[in-house]
Amino acid sequence: MVQQTAFLSGYPILLDDMEMKDLPRAQLYAMNQASIRSSIPSEQPLMSEPAPISTLRAEYENGSSSFVAQIDDLVRQGFTSIIRTRGDGDCFYRSLAFAYIEQLIRAEEPELAVVTALSGLESQKEKLMKDAGFQEIVYDLPYGVFTDLIKRIISQSGDLLTSAGLLETFQDSEAPQYIVMYLRLLTSAQIRTAPEEFEEFIMHPDTGMKMTVTEFCENFVDPMGKEADHVQITALSRALQVRIHIAYLDGHSPDGKVKFVEFDQAPDSRSEPLLLLYRPGHYDIIDKNGV
Amino acid sequence: MDARLRRVNKEIADCKNDKASNIKIDLVDSSPFHLKGSFPGPKDTPYEGGVFEVDIVVPESYPFQAVKMKFITKVYHPNISSASGAICLDILKDAWSPVLTLKSTLISLQSLLCSPEPNDPQDAEVAKHYMTSKKSFEETARYWTHIYAGGLGSKGKVDTKEAAKDEIAIAGLEQTHVTQFEGLGFERSKVIDVLRRMNYRGSNAANISDERIIDELLK
Repeated sequence: MVQQTAFLSGYPILLDDMEMKDLPRAQLYAMNQASIRSSIPSEQPLMSEPAPISTLRAEYENGSSSFVAQIDDLVRQGFTSIIRTRGDGDCFYRSLAFAYIEQLIRAEEPELAVVTALSGLESQKEKLMKDAGFQEIVYDLPYGVFTDLIKRIISQSGDLLTSAGLLETFQDSEAPQYIVMYLRLLTSAQIRTAPEEFEEFIMHPDTGMKMTVTEFCENFVDPMGKEADHVQITALSRALQVRIHIAYLDGHSPDGKVKFVEFDQAPDSRSEPLLLLYRPGHYDIIDKNGV
Repeated sequence: MDARLRRVNKEIADCKNDKASNIKIDLVDSSPFHLKGSFPGPKDTPYEGGVFEVDIVVPESYPFQAVKMKFITKVYHPNISSASGAICLDILKDAWSPVLTLKSTLISLQSLLCSPEPNDPQDAEVAKHYMTSKKSFEETARYWTHIYAGGLGSKGKVDTKEAAKDEIAIAGLEQTHVTQFEGLGFERSKVIDVLRRMNYRGSNAANISDERIIDELLK
């Protein structure tokens, strides 16, 4: 274990009279993983093309069998693809925004879905932002970027937003940053305006110390690059009025099943949930319709 | 669409329309990304009566990354470099969030003047002065406000005796201490420099022997 850690830290020590075959299996695996990683460009795209879920399985085939069992369980449940996002601390918000817009694009009646979504966003903005103490100058621009993109789903003027166009937008433009910012503001506003519902669960994510709702939002919700946890996800499910179901791939399931954690704060529980995949410290999107 | 430009233009306009806050943001040249902010020193502090100017650079990735600010006006404060105007404040570093604006950041600087944090200093010498004698620190800070940030009006001619006194007050030292070592034949500017670095102030003066000071002066 010590050796493996030493290797992973980037300083392999191979004694002169040692050969590869003498290395412990764990270390060989670690070397293999490290070489896979080094062949991938260090800057992962903000959002990758959908990939078959078998590519996710391949990552773990030489490693943890309990991860593989859980991935097989996802396949059994009908999941076919994964859309990876960059692990920069914004991955939850970016994945959720993408899944949210993608769901509107795929809606049976996009016109109705978009109009409903826009009116919901509008009323939530009116309800939450000012009460949370945010200035219009801060939220109106990201709100505009988010809703302009959604309006393009039913655009009649040649800039119709398709799934491919959505992916392109999320790969290289400043729009996803503003959209992440808006979802952070919504999350923060929801927590700040209903502190009594959240404060019991709020603590410093590293130290476990109690914090006030305001301190928590200022330090772990508002700034870019701060990961989301249960409190943030619960708040965003409510503020955005969506159901969020997250498959927890943690390698700790005794029966090899994937546990879904369900955030159902939406008033209309018949709506389809947005589906994300969680691996410790990171969120991606999983899908039953892709590839 | 240049969203950064739109936001900054709105922020500048917003600040112009807000007469209540006393915070000003002006263009330095034709670029909206290089600005000059200013605000009055807070009441009941050594900075009262002064107007403090801040250089503002809006980075490419604003508002996702922090705006860059430093004082143009010289300020005597533990968290502000007395030489460069660099500021030690969390929101200008890793505690920045896009919720903050140019105006709210300038207001935070204004409140930084009310609440020095000598345990997390930007200027270690000033922080030492503050910890040794708050009263003496405040006198110096008030003097700096007076000569660098104050509306002193026209600068009349200053006689040499007056200018020398200024130099000592700027360093936050006492006239008698400086003349004592000057009397031993050392140059005044050297004496001031050494006494300032050694924090020869208040009760701390008793902890520093004359020999140590002379050693330093001879270096």
